[in-house]
Amino acid sequence: MSIKLSKTFLLRKLHQITGIVPLGAFFFVHIFTNSKAMSGEKAFNDAVGDIHHIPYLLFVEVFGIFLPLIFHSIYGIFISAEARPNGFDYNYGRNWFYIFQRATGIFLFFFLLFHILNLRFGAIPGLESYGNPVAGNATQAFDIVQAEFRNAGILLFYILGVAATAWHLAYGIWLFAVDWGIVIGEKAQKYALYACIALAAGLFAVGTNAAFAFVRPCGLLPQAFCSELEENKITQPNAPRRF
Amino acid sequence: MSNSNEFKEKKRLTNPPQTVDIKIQRRDKLGENAYWETFTIPYRRNLNVISVLMDIRKTPVTKEGKQTTPPVWDMSCLEQVCGICTMVINGRVRQSCSALIDDLLVSDGGNTITLEPMSKFPNVRDLKVDRTRMFEHLKQVNAWIELDGTHDLGPGPTMSQETAQERYAYSRCMTCGCCLEACPQYHDDNYIGPQAIAQARYQNMHPTGKITIDERLEGLTQEDGITNCGNAQNCIQVCPMGIPLTRAIYETNRDITVNALFGWLRK
Ligand code: SF4
Ligand code: SF4
Ligand code: FES
Repeated sequence: MSIKLSKTFLLRKLHQITGIVPLGAFFFVHIFTNSKAMSGEKAFNDAVGDIHHIPYLLFVEVFGIFLPLIFHSIYGIFISAEARPNGFDYNYGRNWFYIFQRATGIFLFFFLLFHILNLRFGAIPGLESYGNPVAGNATQAFDIVQAEFRNAGILLFYILGVAATAWHLAYGIWLFAVDWGIVIGEKAQKYALYACIALAAGLFAVGTNAAFAFVRPCGLLPQAFCSELEENKITQPNAPRRF
Repeated sequence: MSNSNEFKEKKRLTNPPQTVDIKIQRRDKLGENAYWETFTIPYRRNLNVISVLMDIRKTPVTKEGKQTTPPVWDMSCLEQVCGICTMVINGRVRQSCSALIDDLLVSDGGNTITLEPMSKFPNVRDLKVDRTRMFEHLKQVNAWIELDGTHDLGPGPTMSQETAQERYAYSRCMTCGCCLEACPQYHDDNYIGPQAIAQARYQNMHPTGKITIDERLEGLTQEDGITNCGNAQNCIQVCPMGIPLTRAIYETNRDITVNALFGWLRK
Protein backbone atom coordinates (compact mmCIF):
# COMPACT_ATOMS: atom_id res chain seq x y z
CA MET A 1 0.00 0.00 0.00
CA SER A 2 1.30 3.42 -0.73
CA ILE A 3 0.64 6.32 1.56
CA LYS A 4 -1.43 9.25 0.32
CA LEU A 5 0.20 12.58 1.07
CA SER A 6 -1.88 15.69 1.60
CA LYS A 7 -1.10 19.10 0.14
CA THR A 8 -0.29 20.52 3.57
CA PHE A 9 2.10 17.67 4.22
CA LEU A 10 4.00 18.25 0.97
CA LEU A 11 4.07 22.02 1.37
CA ARG A 12 5.45 21.72 4.92
CA LYS A 13 8.15 19.36 3.82
CA LEU A 14 9.01 21.63 0.91
CA HIS A 15 9.09 24.59 3.30
CA GLN A 16 11.51 22.77 5.59
CA ILE A 17 13.80 21.71 2.79
CA THR A 18 13.89 25.04 0.93
CA GLY A 19 15.05 26.64 4.17
CA ILE A 20 18.15 24.44 4.19
CA VAL A 21 18.78 24.02 0.46
CA PRO A 22 18.96 26.37 -1.36
CA LEU A 23 18.36 29.24 1.10
CA GLY A 24 20.59 28.10 3.97
CA ALA A 25 23.34 27.04 1.60
CA PHE A 26 23.07 30.41 -0.14
CA PHE A 27 23.51 32.22 3.16
CA PHE A 28 26.81 30.43 3.73
CA VAL A 29 28.03 31.44 0.27
CA HIS A 30 26.75 34.97 0.83
CA ILE A 31 28.66 35.63 4.05
CA PHE A 32 31.70 33.94 2.57
CA THR A 33 31.62 36.47 -0.27
CA ASN A 34 30.94 39.35 2.11
CA SER A 35 33.90 38.32 4.23
CA LYS A 36 36.19 38.94 1.28
CA ALA A 37 35.69 42.61 2.06
CA MET A 38 38.07 41.98 4.95
CA SER A 39 40.87 41.80 2.39
CA GLY A 40 39.85 45.07 0.88
CA GLU A 41 38.07 46.63 -2.00
CA LYS A 42 39.65 44.68 -4.83
CA ALA A 43 39.10 41.26 -3.28
CA PHE A 44 35.43 42.04 -2.71
CA ASN A 45 34.85 43.56 -6.14
CA ASP A 46 36.53 40.57 -7.77
CA ALA A 47 34.26 38.25 -5.81
CA VAL A 48 31.21 40.17 -7.02
CA GLY A 49 32.62 40.01 -10.54
CA ASP A 50 33.00 36.25 -10.24
CA ILE A 51 29.36 35.95 -9.27
CA HIS A 52 28.44 37.92 -12.37
CA HIS A 53 30.18 35.25 -14.41
CA ILE A 54 28.36 32.27 -12.96
CA PRO A 55 27.01 30.36 -15.97
CA TYR A 56 23.21 30.47 -16.32
CA LEU A 57 23.22 33.25 -13.72
CA LEU A 58 19.66 34.37 -14.33
CA PHE A 59 18.43 30.80 -14.06
CA VAL A 60 20.40 30.24 -10.86
CA GLU A 61 19.13 33.47 -9.38
CA VAL A 62 15.49 32.84 -10.19
CA PHE A 63 15.27 29.13 -9.37
CA GLY A 64 17.99 28.98 -6.74
CA ILE A 65 17.14 32.12 -4.80
CA PHE A 66 14.07 34.13 -5.72
CA LEU A 67 11.47 31.40 -6.13
CA PRO A 68 12.52 29.40 -3.05
CA LEU A 69 12.74 32.62 -1.06
CA ILE A 70 9.30 33.78 -2.11
CA PHE A 71 7.81 30.38 -1.31
CA HIS A 72 9.62 30.00 2.00
CA SER A 73 8.75 33.48 3.23
CA ILE A 74 5.12 33.57 2.14
CA TYR A 75 4.30 30.07 3.31
CA GLY A 76 6.25 30.87 6.49
CA ILE A 77 3.90 33.77 7.17
CA PHE A 78 0.95 31.39 6.80
CA ILE A 79 2.56 28.98 9.26
CA SER A 80 3.23 31.81 11.71
CA ALA A 81 -0.39 32.90 11.49
CA GLU A 82 -1.41 29.47 12.80
CA ALA A 83 0.56 29.85 15.99
CA ARG A 84 -1.14 30.58 19.29
CA PRO A 85 1.92 31.58 21.33
CA ASN A 86 1.62 30.86 25.05
CA GLY A 87 5.15 31.45 26.29
CA PHE A 88 4.13 33.20 29.48
CA ASP A 89 1.80 30.47 30.72
CA TYR A 90 4.04 27.65 29.50
CA ASN A 91 7.42 29.17 30.08
CA TYR A 92 9.83 26.63 28.57
CA GLY A 93 12.93 27.15 26.46
CA ARG A 94 11.70 25.22 23.45
CA ASN A 95 8.41 27.07 23.57
CA TRP A 96 10.26 30.39 23.35
CA PHE A 97 12.42 29.06 20.51
CA TYR A 98 9.19 28.14 18.75
CA ILE A 99 7.91 31.71 19.14
CA PHE A 100 11.29 33.16 18.23
CA GLN A 101 11.50 31.15 15.01
CA ARG A 102 8.26 32.78 13.89
CA ALA A 103 9.28 36.25 15.12
CA THR A 104 12.64 36.13 13.33
CA GLY A 105 10.89 34.82 10.23
CA ILE A 106 8.50 37.75 10.11
CA PHE A 107 11.31 40.21 10.78
CA LEU A 108 13.37 38.62 8.00
CA PHE A 109 10.48 38.97 5.58
CA PHE A 110 10.72 42.74 5.91
CA PHE A 111 14.48 42.84 6.27
CA LEU A 112 15.08 40.80 3.11
CA LEU A 113 12.54 42.81 1.18
CA PHE A 114 14.52 45.91 2.12
CA HIS A 115 17.90 44.28 1.55
CA ILE A 116 17.04 43.01 -1.92
CA LEU A 117 15.44 46.26 -3.05
CA ASN A 118 18.34 48.18 -1.54
CA LEU A 119 21.49 46.43 -2.77
CA ARG A 120 20.26 44.07 -5.49
CA PHE A 121 17.97 46.50 -7.28
CA GLY A 122 19.00 49.92 -5.94
CA ALA A 123 15.36 50.75 -5.59
CA ILE A 124 15.14 52.41 -2.17
CA PRO A 125 14.84 56.15 -2.80
CA GLY A 126 16.88 58.43 -0.59
CA LEU A 127 19.64 55.89 0.03
CA GLU A 128 23.11 56.02 -1.49
CA SER A 129 22.55 52.99 -3.70
CA TYR A 130 19.38 54.37 -5.30
CA GLY A 131 19.64 53.66 -9.02
CA ASN A 132 23.10 52.20 -8.49
CA PRO A 133 22.82 48.67 -7.08
CA VAL A 134 25.70 46.31 -6.37
CA ALA A 135 24.40 43.79 -8.88
CA GLY A 136 25.81 44.69 -12.30
CA ASN A 137 28.32 47.15 -10.85
CA ALA A 138 31.13 44.87 -9.77
CA THR A 139 33.78 47.54 -10.10
CA GLN A 140 32.01 49.84 -7.66
CA ALA A 141 30.50 47.15 -5.42
CA PHE A 142 32.63 47.89 -2.37
CA ASP A 143 32.08 51.64 -2.60
CA ILE A 144 28.35 51.27 -2.93
CA VAL A 145 28.07 49.10 0.16
CA GLN A 146 30.49 51.30 2.06
CA ALA A 147 28.51 54.43 1.26
CA GLU A 148 25.40 52.67 2.55
CA PHE A 149 27.04 51.35 5.72
CA ARG A 150 28.43 54.74 6.70
CA ASN A 151 24.89 55.39 7.82
CA ALA A 152 24.96 53.88 11.30
CA GLY A 153 21.22 53.18 11.25
CA ILE A 154 21.52 51.11 8.06
CA LEU A 155 24.56 49.28 9.40
CA LEU A 156 22.68 48.43 12.58
CA PHE A 157 19.67 47.23 10.60
CA TYR A 158 21.92 44.96 8.56
CA ILE A 159 23.57 43.58 11.69
CA LEU A 160 20.13 42.81 13.12
CA GLY A 161 19.33 41.11 9.84
CA VAL A 162 22.47 38.99 10.11
CA ALA A 163 21.59 38.07 13.70
CA ALA A 164 18.04 37.08 12.79
CA THR A 165 19.19 35.07 9.78
CA ALA A 166 21.92 33.30 11.76
CA TRP A 167 19.43 32.23 14.42
CA HIS A 168 16.59 31.40 12.05
CA LEU A 169 18.89 29.25 9.93
CA ALA A 170 20.71 27.49 12.77
CA TYR A 171 17.51 26.68 14.67
CA GLY A 172 15.92 25.81 11.34
CA ILE A 173 18.59 23.16 10.86
CA TRP A 174 17.67 21.75 14.27
CA LEU A 175 13.99 21.79 13.32
CA PHE A 176 14.77 20.06 10.06
CA ALA A 177 16.72 17.36 11.88
CA VAL A 178 13.85 16.62 14.26
CA ASP A 179 11.04 17.00 11.73
CA TRP A 180 12.60 14.49 9.38
CA GLY A 181 13.20 12.04 12.17
CA ILE A 182 16.98 12.35 12.00
CA VAL A 183 17.55 13.41 15.62
CA ILE A 184 15.04 11.62 17.83
CA GLY A 185 16.15 11.11 21.41
CA GLU A 186 16.01 13.69 24.16
CA LYS A 187 19.77 13.75 24.72
CA ALA A 188 20.57 13.76 21.02
CA GLN A 189 18.22 16.69 20.57
CA LYS A 190 19.91 18.57 23.37
CA TYR A 191 23.39 18.16 21.91
CA ALA A 192 22.12 18.95 18.42
CA LEU A 193 20.64 22.13 19.83
CA TYR A 194 23.97 23.12 21.42
CA ALA A 195 25.66 22.58 18.07
CA CYS A 196 23.06 24.76 16.35
CA ILE A 197 23.44 27.51 18.94
CA ALA A 198 27.19 27.44 18.34
CA LEU A 199 26.56 27.61 14.61
CA ALA A 200 24.25 30.61 15.07
CA ALA A 201 26.92 32.39 17.13
CA GLY A 202 29.56 31.62 14.52
CA LEU A 203 27.44 32.82 11.60
CA PHE A 204 26.55 35.96 13.49
CA ALA A 205 30.19 36.73 14.30
CA VAL A 206 31.40 36.17 10.76
CA GLY A 207 28.49 38.03 9.18
CA THR A 208 28.84 41.01 11.50
CA ASN A 209 32.56 41.24 11.00
CA ALA A 210 32.03 41.19 7.24
CA ALA A 211 29.61 44.10 7.55
CA PHE A 212 32.14 46.10 9.56
CA ALA A 213 34.81 45.31 6.99
CA PHE A 214 33.15 47.84 4.70
CA VAL A 215 33.73 50.69 7.11
CA ARG A 216 36.99 49.57 8.70
CA PRO A 217 39.67 47.40 7.07
CA CYS A 218 39.51 43.84 8.35
CA GLY A 219 36.29 44.62 10.19
CA LEU A 220 36.45 44.34 13.95
CA LEU A 221 39.59 42.22 13.92
CA PRO A 222 43.12 43.62 14.28
CA GLN A 223 44.35 44.60 10.86
CA ALA A 224 47.36 42.28 11.02
CA PHE A 225 44.84 39.49 10.81
CA CYS A 226 44.06 40.26 7.19
CA SER A 227 47.48 39.52 5.72
CA GLU A 228 46.99 40.66 2.18
CA LEU A 229 45.83 44.12 3.10
CA GLU A 230 48.88 45.91 1.70
CA GLU A 231 48.52 44.42 -1.73
CA ASN A 232 45.05 45.77 -2.21
CA LYS A 233 44.15 49.37 -2.39
CA ILE A 234 42.15 49.94 0.75
CA THR A 235 39.50 52.55 0.89
CA GLN A 236 39.95 54.07 4.30
CA PRO A 237 36.77 54.94 6.13
CA ASN A 238 37.55 58.65 5.81
CA ALA A 239 38.54 58.54 2.15
CA PRO A 240 36.60 60.90 -0.10
CA ARG A 241 33.49 59.45 -1.68
CA ARG A 242 33.74 58.74 -5.38
CA PHE A 243 30.27 59.45 -6.51
CA MET B 1 10.85 13.36 30.31
CA SER B 2 8.39 15.61 32.05
CA ASN B 3 9.57 17.44 35.12
CA SER B 4 6.13 17.24 36.64
CA ASN B 5 6.81 13.65 37.61
CA GLU B 6 9.85 14.38 39.73
CA PHE B 7 9.36 14.16 43.43
CA LYS B 8 9.52 17.56 44.98
CA GLU B 9 9.85 18.28 48.65
CA LYS B 10 6.54 19.85 49.52
CA LYS B 11 6.65 23.41 50.74
CA ARG B 12 4.12 23.95 53.50
CA LEU B 13 2.00 27.03 53.66
CA THR B 14 3.37 28.64 56.79
CA ASN B 15 0.88 31.45 57.12
CA PRO B 16 -2.40 30.30 55.57
CA PRO B 17 -5.05 32.90 54.72
CA GLN B 18 -8.44 32.90 56.45
CA THR B 19 -10.31 32.55 53.16
CA VAL B 20 -9.50 31.73 49.56
CA ASP B 21 -11.07 33.44 46.53
CA ILE B 22 -12.01 31.14 43.67
CA LYS B 23 -12.50 32.95 40.38
CA ILE B 24 -14.39 30.79 37.90
CA GLN B 25 -15.02 31.36 34.24
CA ARG B 26 -18.63 30.43 33.61
CA ARG B 27 -20.78 29.86 30.56
CA ASP B 28 -24.44 28.93 30.58
CA LYS B 29 -24.35 26.83 27.47
CA LEU B 30 -22.35 26.15 24.32
CA GLY B 31 -22.00 29.26 22.19
CA GLU B 32 -23.07 31.75 24.86
CA ASN B 33 -20.74 34.36 26.25
CA ALA B 34 -18.49 33.49 29.12
CA TYR B 35 -18.46 35.55 32.31
CA TRP B 36 -16.56 35.48 35.58
CA GLU B 37 -17.79 34.81 39.09
CA THR B 38 -15.73 34.85 42.27
CA PHE B 39 -16.54 32.82 45.34
CA THR B 40 -14.96 33.06 48.77
CA ILE B 41 -14.51 29.93 50.83
CA PRO B 42 -12.94 29.49 54.25
CA TYR B 43 -9.48 27.99 54.11
CA ARG B 44 -8.75 24.59 55.64
CA ARG B 45 -5.74 22.36 55.21
CA ASN B 46 -5.53 19.86 52.32
CA LEU B 47 -8.24 21.32 50.15
CA ASN B 48 -8.02 20.52 46.47
CA VAL B 49 -9.77 22.21 43.57
CA ILE B 50 -12.53 19.61 43.43
CA SER B 51 -13.31 19.86 47.16
CA VAL B 52 -13.41 23.64 46.79
CA LEU B 53 -15.86 23.30 43.89
CA MET B 54 -17.98 20.96 46.01
CA ASP B 55 -18.05 23.56 48.78
CA ILE B 56 -19.17 26.21 46.31
CA ARG B 57 -21.83 23.90 44.92
CA LYS B 58 -23.40 23.58 48.40
CA THR B 59 -23.96 27.33 48.71
CA PRO B 60 -23.56 28.96 45.30
CA VAL B 61 -23.35 32.56 46.48
CA THR B 62 -20.73 34.84 44.94
CA LYS B 63 -18.30 37.00 46.86
CA GLU B 64 -20.63 39.96 46.28
CA GLY B 65 -23.48 38.00 47.89
CA LYS B 66 -25.34 37.23 44.67
CA GLN B 67 -27.20 33.93 44.53
CA THR B 68 -26.15 32.00 41.42
CA THR B 69 -26.28 28.55 39.84
CA PRO B 70 -23.86 25.88 41.08
CA PRO B 71 -20.83 25.62 38.78
CA VAL B 72 -20.63 22.56 36.56
CA TRP B 73 -17.50 20.44 36.08
CA ASP B 74 -16.56 16.86 35.29
CA MET B 75 -14.97 14.40 37.71
CA SER B 76 -14.73 10.70 38.19
CA CYS B 77 -11.71 8.86 39.62
CA LEU B 78 -10.42 11.65 41.89
CA GLU B 79 -6.91 10.22 41.68
CA GLN B 80 -5.52 11.58 38.40
CA VAL B 81 -6.18 8.46 36.38
CA CYS B 82 -9.24 9.21 34.29
CA GLY B 83 -8.35 12.72 33.11
CA ILE B 84 -11.93 13.95 32.93
CA CYS B 85 -11.50 16.73 35.51
CA THR B 86 -8.85 18.57 33.47
CA MET B 87 -9.14 22.37 33.49
CA VAL B 88 -6.96 25.46 33.34
CA ILE B 89 -5.92 26.37 36.87
CA ASN B 90 -4.08 29.66 37.39
CA GLY B 91 -3.38 29.76 33.65
CA ARG B 92 -1.98 26.23 33.39
CA VAL B 93 -3.77 23.10 32.32
CA ARG B 94 -3.89 20.19 34.80
CA GLN B 95 -6.23 17.83 36.62
CA SER B 96 -8.30 19.59 39.24
CA CYS B 97 -8.54 16.53 41.53
CA SER B 98 -4.79 16.51 42.08
CA ALA B 99 -4.40 20.30 42.27
CA LEU B 100 -3.94 21.05 45.97
CA ILE B 101 -4.93 24.50 47.16
CA ASP B 102 -1.93 24.68 49.50
CA ASP B 103 0.44 24.01 46.63
CA LEU B 104 -1.25 26.57 44.41
CA LEU B 105 -1.08 29.23 47.10
CA VAL B 106 2.59 28.48 47.71
CA SER B 107 3.62 28.41 44.05
CA ASP B 108 1.52 31.26 42.69
CA GLY B 109 1.19 33.54 45.74
CA GLY B 110 -1.86 35.63 46.56
CA ASN B 111 -5.07 34.04 47.73
CA THR B 112 -7.05 33.90 44.50
CA ILE B 113 -7.27 30.78 42.38
CA THR B 114 -8.50 31.07 38.80
CA LEU B 115 -10.38 28.23 37.14
CA GLU B 116 -11.13 28.15 33.42
CA PRO B 117 -12.30 25.40 31.11
CA MET B 118 -9.77 24.19 28.55
CA SER B 119 -9.78 26.72 25.72
CA LYS B 120 -9.17 24.35 22.81
CA PHE B 121 -12.34 22.26 23.13
CA PRO B 122 -16.03 23.19 22.79
CA ASN B 123 -17.07 24.55 26.17
CA VAL B 124 -20.33 22.78 27.04
CA ARG B 125 -20.97 24.60 30.26
CA ASP B 126 -18.86 26.30 32.97
CA LEU B 127 -15.78 24.09 33.40
CA LYS B 128 -17.02 21.21 31.27
CA VAL B 129 -15.70 20.62 27.76
CA ASP B 130 -16.46 18.19 24.96
CA ARG B 131 -13.40 16.11 24.01
CA THR B 132 -15.03 14.06 21.25
CA ARG B 133 -12.42 15.29 18.78
CA MET B 134 -9.68 13.42 20.61
CA PHE B 135 -11.57 10.20 19.94
CA GLU B 136 -12.06 11.22 16.31
CA HIS B 137 -8.29 11.63 16.10
CA LEU B 138 -7.80 8.11 17.43
CA LYS B 139 -10.08 6.85 14.67
CA GLN B 140 -8.19 8.86 12.07
CA VAL B 141 -4.92 7.09 12.96
CA ASN B 142 -6.44 3.60 13.42
CA ALA B 143 -5.18 3.49 16.99
CA TRP B 144 -5.94 -0.18 17.43
CA ILE B 145 -4.68 -3.55 16.26
CA GLU B 146 -6.73 -5.49 13.73
CA LEU B 147 -7.70 -8.92 14.94
CA ASP B 148 -9.62 -11.23 12.70
CA GLY B 149 -12.40 -13.30 14.27
CA THR B 150 -12.80 -14.72 17.75
CA HIS B 151 -10.91 -17.96 17.30
CA ASP B 152 -7.74 -18.71 19.24
CA LEU B 153 -4.75 -17.19 17.46
CA GLY B 154 -2.20 -18.78 19.76
CA PRO B 155 0.35 -16.81 21.75
CA GLY B 156 1.13 -13.35 20.37
CA PRO B 157 4.53 -12.41 18.96
CA THR B 158 7.27 -11.67 21.46
CA MET B 159 8.44 -8.17 22.05
CA SER B 160 11.74 -6.90 23.45
CA GLN B 161 11.74 -5.60 27.00
CA GLU B 162 12.60 -2.12 25.72
CA THR B 163 9.70 -2.06 23.30
CA ALA B 164 7.36 -3.30 25.98
CA GLN B 165 8.51 -0.59 28.35
CA GLU B 166 8.13 2.20 25.84
CA ARG B 167 4.72 0.89 24.84
CA TYR B 168 3.70 0.75 28.46
CA ALA B 169 4.50 4.45 28.75
CA TYR B 170 2.23 5.26 25.78
CA SER B 171 -0.51 3.02 27.12
CA ARG B 172 -0.99 5.28 30.12
CA CYS B 173 -2.58 8.08 28.10
CA MET B 174 -5.92 9.01 29.66
CA THR B 175 -7.09 11.30 26.82
CA CYS B 176 -7.19 14.22 29.23
CA GLY B 177 -6.31 16.87 26.64
CA CYS B 178 -3.55 18.68 28.57
CA CYS B 179 -1.12 18.23 25.70
CA LEU B 180 -3.53 19.74 23.17
CA GLU B 181 -4.41 22.62 25.46
CA ALA B 182 -0.74 23.57 25.92
CA CYS B 183 0.23 22.99 22.28
CA PRO B 184 0.68 26.36 20.54
CA GLN B 185 -0.09 24.75 17.19
CA TYR B 186 -3.41 23.20 18.18
CA HIS B 187 -6.56 25.30 17.86
CA ASP B 188 -9.89 24.98 16.06
CA ASP B 189 -9.05 21.31 15.55
CA ASN B 190 -6.53 22.16 12.81
CA TYR B 191 -4.02 19.58 13.98
CA ILE B 192 -4.30 15.98 15.07
CA GLY B 193 -2.01 16.64 18.03
CA PRO B 194 0.50 14.76 20.14
CA GLN B 195 -1.98 12.45 21.89
CA ALA B 196 -3.08 10.72 18.68
CA ILE B 197 0.49 10.63 17.35
CA ALA B 198 1.61 8.85 20.53
CA GLN B 199 -1.26 6.36 20.25
CA ALA B 200 -0.36 5.66 16.62
CA ARG B 201 3.22 5.09 17.70
CA TYR B 202 1.97 2.80 20.49
CA GLN B 203 0.27 0.53 17.96
CA ASN B 204 3.02 0.86 15.33
CA MET B 205 5.50 -0.53 17.84
CA HIS B 206 3.47 -3.67 18.34
CA PRO B 207 4.67 -6.56 16.13
CA THR B 208 1.13 -7.25 14.95
CA GLY B 209 0.24 -3.58 14.76
CA LYS B 210 3.21 -2.97 12.49
CA ILE B 211 1.42 -4.81 9.70
CA THR B 212 -0.97 -1.90 9.25
CA ILE B 213 1.56 0.89 9.87
CA ASP B 214 0.79 2.46 6.47
CA GLU B 215 -2.83 3.07 7.42
CA ARG B 216 -1.78 4.85 10.60
CA LEU B 217 0.84 6.90 8.81
CA GLU B 218 -1.72 7.87 6.22
CA GLY B 219 -3.87 9.28 9.01
CA LEU B 220 -0.88 11.38 10.01
CA THR B 221 0.00 12.75 6.58
CA GLN B 222 -3.41 14.35 6.08
CA GLU B 223 -4.03 18.09 6.11
CA ASP B 224 -4.16 18.15 9.92
CA GLY B 225 -1.31 15.67 10.26
CA ILE B 226 2.02 15.50 12.01
CA THR B 227 3.72 18.22 9.93
CA ASN B 228 1.63 20.78 11.82
CA CYS B 229 3.79 20.16 14.87
CA GLY B 230 5.99 23.19 15.55
CA ASN B 231 8.31 21.45 18.03
CA ALA B 232 7.53 23.75 20.93
CA GLN B 233 7.53 20.61 23.07
CA ASN B 234 5.03 21.98 25.57
CA CYS B 235 3.10 18.72 25.30
CA ILE B 236 5.74 16.66 27.04
CA GLN B 237 6.10 19.28 29.75
CA VAL B 238 2.43 19.23 30.69
CA CYS B 239 1.49 15.57 30.20
CA PRO B 240 0.47 14.40 33.68
CA MET B 241 1.24 10.78 32.80
CA GLY B 242 4.81 11.55 31.76
CA ILE B 243 4.23 10.08 28.31
CA PRO B 244 7.26 10.47 26.01
CA LEU B 245 5.21 12.44 23.50
CA THR B 246 8.14 14.02 21.72
CA ARG B 247 9.79 10.63 21.23
CA ALA B 248 6.54 9.43 19.67
CA ILE B 249 6.48 12.44 17.36
CA TYR B 250 10.08 12.09 16.21
CA GLU B 251 10.03 8.30 15.82
CA THR B 252 6.90 8.76 13.74
CA ASN B 253 8.61 11.51 11.74
CA ARG B 254 11.30 9.00 10.90
CA ASP B 255 8.73 6.38 9.90
CA ILE B 256 7.05 8.96 7.70
CA THR B 257 10.29 10.09 6.09
CA VAL B 258 11.18 6.50 5.28
CA ASN B 259 7.75 5.12 4.35
CA ALA B 260 5.81 8.08 3.05
CA LEU B 261 8.28 10.58 1.68
CA PHE B 262 10.80 8.15 0.24
CA GLY B 263 8.45 5.17 -0.03
CA TRP B 264 8.35 5.59 -3.80
CA LEU B 265 12.05 4.78 -3.98
CA ARG B 266 11.20 1.21 -3.02
CA LYS B 267 8.62 0.77 -5.74
S1 SF4 C 1 -0.76 12.31 26.10
FE1 SF4 C 1 -0.74 12.95 28.25
S2 SF4 C 1 -1.54 15.03 28.21
FE2 SF4 C 1 -2.06 14.12 26.26
S3 SF4 C 1 -4.09 13.29 26.52
FE3 SF4 C 1 -2.68 11.63 26.99
S4 SF4 C 1 -2.34 11.74 29.18
FE4 SF4 C 1 -3.27 13.68 28.59
S1 SF4 D 1 5.95 19.52 20.17
FE1 SF4 D 1 4.40 19.63 18.60
S2 SF4 D 1 2.67 18.59 19.47
FE2 SF4 D 1 4.03 19.06 21.19
S3 SF4 D 1 3.29 21.04 21.95
FE3 SF4 D 1 4.85 21.43 20.44
S4 SF4 D 1 3.79 21.78 18.53
FE4 SF4 D 1 2.39 20.74 19.93
S1 FES E 1 -11.20 12.96 38.40
FE1 FES E 1 -10.08 11.48 37.25
S2 FES E 1 -8.26 12.58 36.85
FE2 FES E 1 -9.31 13.96 38.14
